[in-house]
Amino acid sequence: MKKHIQAFILLFFATGLIAAAQSDNISPQRKQAIDSLALEKVKDLSKYISIIGSKDTQFSEANRVMDRAEELFSPGSEMGVSSLSSQDVAYYPVRRYFERLMALNYDNVTISWYDIHYISDLERQPDGRYVGVVTIYQRFEGTSVETGLNYKDTTKKDITIYVEKKQTQVAGRTIEFWDVMLGDIRVTETSA
Amino acid sequence: MKKLSLLAIIIISSIQFVSGQGLGGPGQIKDDGRFAASTKQLNQFFRRFNAEESEDGLTRYHNGDEMYHNRELRIKYVNLLFDNETSNITKSLKQEFIDHVTAENYPQYLSFHRENWFAEVSSVFTFKGKRTNVTLFMEIQQEGLGFEWVIKEVAFDGFKPYFDKKEGKEKPFLHPLSHELGFMNLRKALQDNDTPESYTSDGYKPDYLTLFLYEIKSGNMKFETVNGVKFHFFQIGDWYFEVSQFNRPGFNTGWLISNLTKVADAEEKEAILNYIYDQK
Repeated sequence: MKKHIQAFILLFFATGLIAAAQSDNISPQRKQAIDSLALEKVKDLSKYISIIGSKDTQFSEANRVMDRAEELFSPGSEMGVSSLSSQDVAYYPVRRYFERLMALNYDNVTISWYDIHYISDLERQPDGRYVGVVTIYQRFEGTSVETGLNYKDTTKKDITIYVEKKQTQVAGRTIEFWDVMLGDIRVTETSA
Repeated sequence: MKKLSLLAIIIISSIQFVSGQGLGGPGQIKDDGRFAASTKQLNQFFRRFNAEESEDGLTRYHNGDEMYHNRELRIKYVNLLFDNETSNITKSLKQEFIDHVTAENYPQYLSFHRENWFAEVSSVFTFKGKRTNVTLFMEIQQEGLGFEWVIKEVAFDGFKPYFDKKEGKEKPFLHPLSHELGFMNLRKALQDNDTPESYTSDGYKPDYLTLFLYEIKSGNMKFETVNGVKFHFFQIGDWYFEVSQFNRPGFNTGWLISNLTKVADAEEKEAILNYIYDQK
């Protein structure tokens, strides 16, 4: 969270004051700052998923965390899940995905990150927003003492990020900053 | 083959996991190099093909950077961008292609925004209640302030029987003096005959995309899922290649060249396109 705030501050001040002539192009330096913020959001999502999936988490707390997790996403975002046994993509609205995770009821959920990720270039959409994809690899382990259930998998997650220039008022002055929202996520079980 | 494996290992072993590459925090697992080696996104395929990123994938090279489009790096990279396990691309053809794209006097690069490449999306729809495969061919186009993917063509076996146009003597026809009778024979042609396509001009080609959209809007066709994506490239002069995704153990994974062929002329290109579109 601390890093999240730092990244936000960095982005906030990296953009400078509003100027009519300011271009909407993203410089390599700014792209790096955006990448950092995107990764922080992805990390937050991972933390939330661990909390939602744990049996130790009270129902009310899980719902509160789901609300927080949903705030990371653009409206209408979906999870598209496929496995090694089926290439077909199963689609879940983000909230539904979290609810399914909560219903798994593991005593313990561990989500580990591989120390490798990949962030695409940012491409501009017709509406002017930028879009990119962050690829991460995660190891999911869920254990249930009661049923002896012990589920493990490694997934590749391709996470859409939307990057948008926004404005805010600070001491009567308009400041522009770049904000990052998560979008659709493609989850693929990997055999690597 | 052994040389390639060795090259792959050298490249992979040269990857330095600097702090900051990983996402940090507890429970971090060290990659043994397989995920680093994998061409994880098509975006990375472009970057590697053009030598626009460092070997650890962390540094994006831009025009003006010392290693940007570096020939030696490109030769290394393009070598690694082939499916070496299942494709039937000969060593000599692969080498010829690598020499061609990395030629000192006229190197050729891929461009995301340039035409002459498109996606083939294998998808499942229900058509009148029955699950059926539909292939969508998509391309990038400029629109508004940026770019978007659009559907260019559709291949669907269910449409084909409707357009089984015979030729010559076999074909039903409207005789050449039909006009003198005010085309009254159209009734027989279009009402009593189940091959109305017989009465279309030589140049007529059924537009499956329009039909597809009509069926969706009519509620007869409903999207179910996507079950595969591959890409076709004609951006390199005199060559065609296909890029597919390989999800398997080992280092030769991700988006890789799965098919490669030389294209002699426009006619040959047309033949390949017709084969891909399956709209002959």
